[in-house]
Amino acid sequence: MPADNSSSGTAWNAVVIDTADNVAVALMELTDTAVVERGTAIECVVLREPVAPGHKFALRAIAAGDPVIKYGQAIGIATSDIAEGAGVHVHNVRSNRASSA
Amino acid sequence: MTRKDVPTEFLGFARPKGRAGTRNTLLVLGINGLVTRAAERISAALPGSRLVATPYGRGQLGRDKDMHTAQLIGLGAHPNVGAVLIVAADRPTAESIANGIADRSARPVEIVSLDDVEEDALALTATGIRLGGALARLISGQPRTPLPVAELFLGIECGHSDATSGLFSNPLSGAAADHLVERGGTVVIGETLEWLGAEHVLAKRAADAAIGRAVVAAVESRERAVSTLGVDLLYNNPGYENVRGGLSTIEEKSLGAIAKAGSSPIRSVLDFAEPPATSGLHVMDGPGFSPESMTGFAASGAQIMLFTTGAGNSFCSLLAPTIKISAHPHAALRTEQIDFDASALWRGEATLPDMTEGLLSRIIDVASGLSTWGEVYGEGNESFARFGSSF
Repeated sequence: MPADNSSSGTAWNAVVIDTADNVAVALMELTDTAVVERGTAIECVVLREPVAPGHKFALRAIAAGDPVIKYGQAIGIATSDIAEGAGVHVHNVRSNRASSA
Repeated sequence: MTRKDVPTEFLGFARPKGRAGTRNTLLVLGINGLVTRAAERISAALPGSRLVATPYGRGQLGRDKDMHTAQLIGLGAHPNVGAVLIVAADRPTAESIANGIADRSARPVEIVSLDDVEEDALALTATGIRLGGALARLISGQPRTPLPVAELFLGIECGHSDATSGLFSNPLSGAAADHLVERGGTVVIGETLEWLGAEHVLAKRAADAAIGRAVVAAVESRERAVSTLGVDLLYNNPGYENVRGGLSTIEEKSLGAIAKAGSSPIRSVLDFAEPPATSGLHVMDGPGFSPESMTGFAASGAQIMLFTTGAGNSFCSLLAPTIKISAHPHAALRTEQIDFDASALWRGEATLPDMTEGLLSRIIDVASGLSTWGEVYGEGNESFARFGSSF
């Protein structure tokens, strides 16, 4: 079983859905360090800014123009360089589908 | 993936033709809006029977008529139906529906029509009760026998979704779907407009290029139909609440929705209510409203529904036991509605593989006779979908 995480009282406070993903999703309001469940492993990510529940942050640096990957699929394109631990949302990712429609 | 603790068989009802049943009920099938009340009276007099009565049946043309007939025949030939009593206005239409049901299911079908009783609705009721009673007694003796899980056909629906759905409940049902497909089972998802933005992902998972093009074409066709009404589906989608909840793009929203199908290759794009020709994963080009969508799944032969929800949603299929799944920490405690509590995933107290084994076991239990809450409280219904208006 995963190690205890004192900030949440449970094992982890963020999840990665697919091993190919470059973003994780916060399960609660996160301000400092995210404890991420990734398959059977647990890893810590130092956050650059607070992340709200259900919102995403970068697991590693994502360059402008690179795909943002969740569910193992591109959910859009980074519109600016995104640092590891930075929030990922409408301010720095855009849809591929909508732009081509 | 090996899940040695998950049973490979369930206790079901073997059928002379088609998939096995997870239930064995008499269906009272009203095929014309003129006899809806008579069909209701007949079903009420036969406890344990299920009632499906269309409000339509005349003045339908072309694709709309075909779609209505496909639903009547599909529901009549449903694996969970042991016998059918057709309640009709005229005998020729009834015989045509009865032949369609018998061809597909080889199960007993009886007809009672206004033609037979000189348009006397009370005589129709009395005759129907006697004919239906004989059918109910006939099927009551059939035992459940061990059958392979390859006989199972899951319809997967989502409704009143929230952040917990895309993160947990949908990937969970997807993992269960993958397990059943690996063992020869069949799975369908629908709600075409919920593929919008993820159609390229679905298309890549198609078993061949033609199926992939059909997936994309189904989305484009509905998107065009909506835009002729002056509505742009991509404008403000994801919407305000989605963005507030953390969803950034339409791809992200739709990927969360299609996660409930798992990751198997897509074997075909089914027309509404069309039975799949093979096992494996299929997608149905159909409406997004759950009662209509699930009636399409039932008419195509799905004998179990998985229904993922965030906040909760009480709607169930009438013919296919509907397993409600929620990972929302509060909604999952609504035990009179949620059949499978997945909130341990949200709390970080369980892993997806562990939870998948639990869900698969629950599916086997329900397939073998365990009542869903929807069955206990009688929430089930079937809703006929239309393709056009009546003439």
